[in-house]
Amino acid sequence: MRLDLTILIPHLGFLAEGALLTLEACALALIGSVILGMLVAIARTSSSKWISRLAFLYVDLFRNIPFIVQLFFFYYGLPEIGIYIDAFTTGVVALSIAGGAYASDAIRAGILAIDNGILEAAEVSGLSKRVTFTRIVLPIALRTSVRPLGSVLINMILTSSILSTITLNELTGQAKIVASDTFRPFEVYVVLLVVYAALTYLVSLGITLLHRRLNRDLQEQVS
Amino acid sequence: MRFAEFTPYDIVLLLQGLGVTVGLFLITSLIGLLVGVLWGVVRFYRIPVLMQLVTFVSEILKNSPVLVQLFLVFFGFPAFFHVNVTPVQAAIVTLSANTAAFVYVIAVSSIESIGRDQVEAARVFGLSRWQVLRHVIAPQAAAFSIGPLTALLVNQLQVTSLISVIGVLDLAKIGATLNLRTLKPFIVWTAVGILYYLAAKAVASLGAWAEKRLRAHSAFRGL
Repeated sequence: MRLDLTILIPHLGFLAEGALLTLEACALALIGSVILGMLVAIARTSSSKWISRLAFLYVDLFRNIPFIVQLFFFYYGLPEIGIYIDAFTTGVVALSIAGGAYASDAIRAGILAIDNGILEAAEVSGLSKRVTFTRIVLPIALRTSVRPLGSVLINMILTSSILSTITLNELTGQAKIVASDTFRPFEVYVVLLVVYAALTYLVSLGITLLHRRLNRDLQEQVS
Repeated sequence: MRFAEFTPYDIVLLLQGLGVTVGLFLITSLIGLLVGVLWGVVRFYRIPVLMQLVTFVSEILKNSPVLVQLFLVFFGFPAFFHVNVTPVQAAIVTLSANTAAFVYVIAVSSIESIGRDQVEAARVFGLSRWQVLRHVIAPQAAAFSIGPLTALLVNQLQVTSLISVIGVLDLAKIGATLNLRTLKPFIVWTAVGILYYLAAKAVASLGAWAEKRLRAHSAFRGL
């Protein structure tokens, strides 16, 4: 019953490979979910009733069904309809779709928080609806929703551990292999807990800095 | 394939899985609520070392994947402490601790939501610290925290699906078993997803009902 962490030293490179894969998957899924979230946020703030209802249905479904069920749905379901993609792609797609539901909420809040005066000013200046949206509404909304999007990313890093159940050897998957190689599961998983906590802490620090940098002109309102 | 078709018995299996999921969810939520509130009280009394310990533990639990926590308890504890841990025990310990960590945060913020002047007024009237907590803070904090608590519980219901990975026969595990036997992933995972969705909706509406009840005393009754 001695906590001996030195047994992990030979396996550090192996674990780092997994961490890299985790970060890769999360980075790709973040891009995917922000794009998806943007589209869904536009749909949800649309004046057409059916489009906004459909978007709400998507958000509601993917937020209320466990990620592992969604993941298995895609992983076992897609080959059934003739789409053969590897575990990594499936994982990134599933993470993007699940993350998109959360991201859309963050971006939607950013859109709804925009001052009406800004929209009126754009209208008076003669900008078309599309230009107003892409050049004025979206940049402001994305900028103010950096922090909530950051918590979506942090959640995504934690959720990505579930990808180990579809044979994708990211950080948790690699740790599982190390644990069965060394017969020291306790040490391995304790270290893993701390690594994940440190990783998410660093990410949240970075997000705070980015948020401050992007919103430096409205410091007193946002901070 | 001999048993490749669905049988009526599969519905019973699914309901059984739902029962296990809901049962474990209720047990761990209850334990988590009690422990989390207890941690909140520790902070309220500002007990020196214990307070820092509780904050640290809750930070680690909040910022690491539940899957890794499950592995730590299920694989790590038996190897390190030489105790026997069944999957259900590991699930109860992990999910309770995880819920407690989030409940702690909600408890702290709802205790802090009550104005200092109320506490000071109560102290001036000669109430002890316990009486202040029991009669002044607790009723208001309960009404304040019910919204975030509902959101947390809906989330924790989905987190229970992870215990299928360590072999608890919950809804997700039943889904995996049926999927392997029938090889019809779309039907199986859709059915499992719908059951989880309905359960989440039930928890959410129960929460809304409780919020209405608890806020009844402060609601605007009309003139």
